[in-house]
Amino acid sequence: MSTSQELFIQGNDACVEGALAAGVRFFAGYPITPSTEIAEGLSARLPKMGGVFLQMEDEIACISAIIGASWGGVKSMTATSGPGFSLMQEAIGYAAMTETPTLVVNVMRGGPSTGQPTRASQGDVMQTKWGSHGDYQVIALAPASVQEMFDLTVEAINFSEKYRVPAFILSDAEVGHMRGLLSIPQRIHVVDRKERGLRRRDEAYDVPDDLVRPFPTFGKGNKAVITGMTHTDDYRIEPEDVRVHQDLVKRLSEKVLRNRKDINRWELIGEGSKTMIVSYGSAALGAREVAATDPKVGLLRLKSVWPFPEEPIAEVASKCDRMLVCEMNLGELYWDIRRAAVEAGCKQVEFLSKIGGDPPTPSEVRHKLREMGAL
Amino acid sequence: MELFEFYRQDRMPTVFCPGCGNGTVMNCFFRAFSDLNLPLDRTAFIGGIGCSSRIPLYINSDVLHTTHGRAIAFATGLRLARPDLKIVVFTGDGDLGAIGGNHFINGCRRNVDMTVICINNNIYGMTGGQASITTPHDFLSTTTPYGNKEYPFDLSEIAVAAGANYVARWTTRHVHELTKSIKAALQKKGFTFVEVVSQCPTNFGRRNKMADPTQMLEWFKEMSVRRDKAKAEAPDHVDLNLAGQITIGEFVERNRECYEEHMGVAKHG
Amino acid sequence: MKPVIDLDSCKGCNICVYICPRKCYSKGTTLSEKGYFAAVVSAHEKCYNHNREGKLLCELCILSCPDQAISWHPETEEEKK
Repeated sequence: MSTSQELFIQGNDACVEGALAAGVRFFAGYPITPSTEIAEGLSARLPKMGGVFLQMEDEIACISAIIGASWGGVKSMTATSGPGFSLMQEAIGYAAMTETPTLVVNVMRGGPSTGQPTRASQGDVMQTKWGSHGDYQVIALAPASVQEMFDLTVEAINFSEKYRVPAFILSDAEVGHMRGLLSIPQRIHVVDRKERGLRRRDEAYDVPDDLVRPFPTFGKGNKAVITGMTHTDDYRIEPEDVRVHQDLVKRLSEKVLRNRKDINRWELIGEGSKTMIVSYGSAALGAREVAATDPKVGLLRLKSVWPFPEEPIAEVASKCDRMLVCEMNLGELYWDIRRAAVEAGCKQVEFLSKIGGDPPTPSEVRHKLREMGAL
Repeated sequence: MELFEFYRQDRMPTVFCPGCGNGTVMNCFFRAFSDLNLPLDRTAFIGGIGCSSRIPLYINSDVLHTTHGRAIAFATGLRLARPDLKIVVFTGDGDLGAIGGNHFINGCRRNVDMTVICINNNIYGMTGGQASITTPHDFLSTTTPYGNKEYPFDLSEIAVAAGANYVARWTTRHVHELTKSIKAALQKKGFTFVEVVSQCPTNFGRRNKMADPTQMLEWFKEMSVRRDKAKAEAPDHVDLNLAGQITIGEFVERNRECYEEHMGVAKHG
Repeated sequence: MKPVIDLDSCKGCNICVYICPRKCYSKGTTLSEKGYFAAVVSAHEKCYNHNREGKLLCELCILSCPDQAISWHPETEEEKK
């Protein structure tokens, strides 16, 4: 693919480029380390492109405003970190329930609470899927480089448009602030939500109609009643109806889960190795070096973490003798990875937990592998 | 425009209690909107959570029924993404002044073009009658069984202080003045605010010796004083409002630039 | 024009009875099909809009009725007296 531009920039700035390339023209944000560069970058770029930049009074206002903007038919996003992400949970549930396409970038930092504002962690991974009340599915991608901060931001926005679901970029202080090479391709694949009343030859229309309904943009005579209450397809509010609730809530999950094959993203190094490391984001960087240099060790680097990528994990687990999960938390995705791996026949699944802000180093990974009897 | 074109006939009659002031406000709003000949299909209606926030669900246009307290934030996003649309927000005293307080004051300050109609029934009606931030001192509610120990906000004065371009307060006893104010608010650029003190006979009136809606309307009539005639000095605390009165009237009308003008975007849908 | 109460909409709150300055309404004593004691137009000839067309006066009842149950209907020849 030919490149239109090469930049040596921060991860957060690459996210800005990705968002603009994917068509985002509305951003509402609140300053919070280590995500603030995204807001600052967009405050300079969006007005020049006829877009809207807003700094709101709090994160709840941010997530609410971007949902409102999305209902106007404009691609929208916000960027935050742990404490702000916690504030946004109610509205994230609202976006899931109303099937509003929008993007939330969480540049994760040390938690809980104010924690380590300038250091990395992967402490919000479970919260991304389970943070709001009730049953719903979301799509979350985990970049591990400056290039991926661009590429996966574009993918996440495309997914949110295609599946009418809130999407997330799970970055962290390391990936957000690292500097590296970004190659912006000349042509970028962009997906727009399928709109009520329009017919286009578009990827968004490939999803079976009964799972993702056409989007009734405001101001086009749709007269849709959009509500967080249990509702029917024709927007009648029916909170007392058992069947309506079951149909709606199950469909919200099914539209994502049934399309896992389309959504799952990963990088596989050393396919077929008897020892496989499974990791994502910054936590995978040290492991990647080990897998690249040691023929006995492979790495399944997850680039999508929600919906939980059952298939690539089971595939790898069925062929290896042991698995090491690396995470920068006390065990979040580890338990599901372990469950999937054991079900697929892997006999030994261990965990390298590193909190405090630094990603696991290659020597820490090797040390753990030796303890496991892998090296 | 006819009433049946404006309100969704298949969802009437409303779920509101007999005698609820919400329906009265709906009438005044419809009268103002249709007198001005505003295009319904270019107007979006946004509500938070609460009885009055349900009014948009009865309107035959694009409706966003959002989360508790956040209607103004959603409205800000929709309006700035689509400055061709006119935005009307229906909210209540708790939705706006308690949980929504931050968005309320910043909405006034930011002055994005929208009309906010706050139906203040001095109670959390939908959840059964808990005290709100406008429940008068000493009044009874399900969470103030010994009398409300707190004092109420004056939502209109807050809007004035925070910078809204138009602020007015009336009661459901003053339907003609209310209709006129809603018309003025819909026509004025920027953040316009109309507070309507309204009766909740079921959950407020009934617990405070005014079970009949007409008793509450009579109370509004007795308690209201035009703002320019209100007592000048405030005592150390506010009762329902300054010195035990409901001050009504147009509080402020100004021409602060609306946010859209600063962005170089058209100010009216 | 005369006011008419729609019995399917009236919830018997009697605000019209209270608000009308000419006392055109009375509290009802019959249960409507919806289960309310719907209000009654007891003296439409006292209304400010009796024998009036075009721009209407007052309309306090129309604007106050929480259920949009009251509407204006043209009077019959009989009623115009």
